[in-house]
Amino acid sequence: MLVIKDLVKKYGKFVAVDHLNLEVEPGHIFGFVGPNGAGKTTTIKIIATLLQPTSGTVKVDGVNVVEEPLKVRERIGYMPDFFGVYDNLKVMEYLDFYGSCYGIPYRERQKTALELLELVDLIRKKDSYVDSLSRGMKQRLCLARSLIHNPKLLVLDEPASGMDPRARIELKEILRELKNMGKTIIISSHILTELSQICDMVGIIEKGKMVIAGDMDDIMKRITGKTIVRIKISGDLEKAVNILKEQPLVSGIIKEGDELELSYEGEERELWKLLKALVDEEISVVSFGKAEGNLEKIFMEVTQGEELLS
Amino acid sequence: MKNFFRNPVLESELKVKMRGWRAAMAVTAYIGIMLLIAYLYFKTILDSVLRYGGYNSASQSIGLQVYSVLAVLQFALIILVTPAQTAGAISAEREKQTLDLLLCTKISSIGIIFGKLVSSLSFILLLIIGSIPLFSLVFLFGGISPGDVATLFLFYMITAFAVGSIGIFCSAMFKKTVTAAVTAYITIFVLGIVTVILGAYMLANYYDSFAQTSTTPPPYIPSVFYLNPAIGLADLMLQQLDGMSGGLVPSISRSIFGYSYYGGSSAATQNTGIAFWKPWSFWIKNSLVLISIACLLLGISAWKIKPVHRWKRGWERK
Ligand SMILES: Nc1ncnc2c1ncn2[C@@H]1O[C@H](COP(=O)(O)OP(=O)(O)O)[C@@H](O)[C@H]1O
Ligand SMILES: [Mg+2]
Repeated sequence: MLVIKDLVKKYGKFVAVDHLNLEVEPGHIFGFVGPNGAGKTTTIKIIATLLQPTSGTVKVDGVNVVEEPLKVRERIGYMPDFFGVYDNLKVMEYLDFYGSCYGIPYRERQKTALELLELVDLIRKKDSYVDSLSRGMKQRLCLARSLIHNPKLLVLDEPASGMDPRARIELKEILRELKNMGKTIIISSHILTELSQICDMVGIIEKGKMVIAGDMDDIMKRITGKTIVRIKISGDLEKAVNILKEQPLVSGIIKEGDELELSYEGEERELWKLLKALVDEEISVVSFGKAEGNLEKIFMEVTQGEELLS
Repeated sequence: MKNFFRNPVLESELKVKMRGWRAAMAVTAYIGIMLLIAYLYFKTILDSVLRYGGYNSASQSIGLQVYSVLAVLQFALIILVTPAQTAGAISAEREKQTLDLLLCTKISSIGIIFGKLVSSLSFILLLIIGSIPLFSLVFLFGGISPGDVATLFLFYMITAFAVGSIGIFCSAMFKKTVTAAVTAYITIFVLGIVTVILGAYMLANYYDSFAQTSTTPPPYIPSVFYLNPAIGLADLMLQQLDGMSGGLVPSISRSIFGYSYYGGSSAATQNTGIAFWKPWSFWIKNSLVLISIACLLLGISAWKIKPVHRWKRGWERK
């Protein structure tokens, strides 16, 4: 449904998307995850034919976004990260307007609009001014708008950010329904766990490069509970290793000069117990902390947000 | 192609613009301003006539005077109103973050530009139509035919089209509506003033070159005048105001545009407007130049807002 090959986008000298490759099969909900500034919005705008790529190809349903943008627009429903509404229109007029922009005949777009309002649970508001809707309602209206021309691919840029948990569950249900209708969905977020319940596939982008992509379950398994800890010790290294080996959640201890690196399966907030065990035995710990490995660092960034929010 | 004449942007803009009391109030305010200024103007004239006595030539052509004041006033108001109407066309969509949503539909960027411009022009047309009752006052005095007024209104619409496309162009070029509006107003006024000054300079040079000879120089129109609709308005009105012959303005204009006036008051009684147009009058050529420039500006605007260009890829800065 979506094939991205060697996509590059430069803003002047700055490389926002760096030889990105991605393939999303039809019928999947793909999570596009990366810290702020990673290049998610840039990539999505290129997919939505709203930004000129510097090089590389993007095809939606086999259609090149640069060669035939109009055909791509027929196939794609786009919801931007930040958007406004025409507040002097009523809800039905709003959907009708976009329907007419897609060249859908009047009767058909009226019918579709009502169905979509049903789907996003705004049917009671159909004659209200868009202005009077709450933020969450506007968001759902914008989702309905992006579906007015019955696109095959739906691209949502950070739809869940700023949503309360209840709204997020509603979104999840709507997306599931859309998936059952056979739509392919791409949804971006800077928080991995926010998407773990919604998506079946995930790709993680960092500094414009795709770091890892694959099955959501596999990737979640790789990161849940696994923290790489690095400890620097002056003195008896062997004794420290023996103490650490006795700790229940520790595995894979590696010696590196006067430093130890180990994998910790427990909760991060329990990490102090390791340190306490060492200090209790009077091991002179010089430094103690999480290793900032490449993948780990990115995982941390994309998982951290959740804790900050809740 | 069957949807070619159905422009969703235009339809929606018109619906919103004409909804409720806003449009009616705008027209009322507009006519109010015109009435007020016209009233003040004639009060001053009337006062001076009363004070210094005499029933001079000014009062004979009172109808033509009313007409010229209204015509120039309305022209000025259109020049003032149109940029404000159009400068937000694209930039406001950008500011409201609705432009991307519009651009990712199937409507073309030309369609968006066209819809925005035509909806603004419809509003101007509404104001002009609203002023018809005022202009019909002129008919009471005679000297001006409905055809004259229709021709004037046509020229207004051409002017609004030209000025409006400058507004749209600025709106497409600048991120903020404020910047776009300020730039549009500055451009329009600088263009208006510079063309007149430059044109006057060119005229002076032209007549200097004939200073030694005794022949009367043939009429000469400085090329910069073609950029200025105010000159076109002057030409059009001077052709219509045959009753006001004599004096400095007509004689200067004669040396520029090269016509002599239709004699007497026959023009008003015999002509119905269209037939009254001199085939290649300055104002017609002026209109054609303005329309061409406007189309060019609109084309550039459409290109500018179009997000992806097929041939731009290798060309874009590395
Ligand atoms: N119009 C632009 N001009 C210059 N730099 C930009 C522009 N848009 C985005 N960037 C930069 O490109 C990078 C990627 O941005 P973006 O795609 O918005 O990231 P994300 O959506 O993942 O947060 C950021 O560093 C951002 O500062
Ligand atoms: Mg973003």
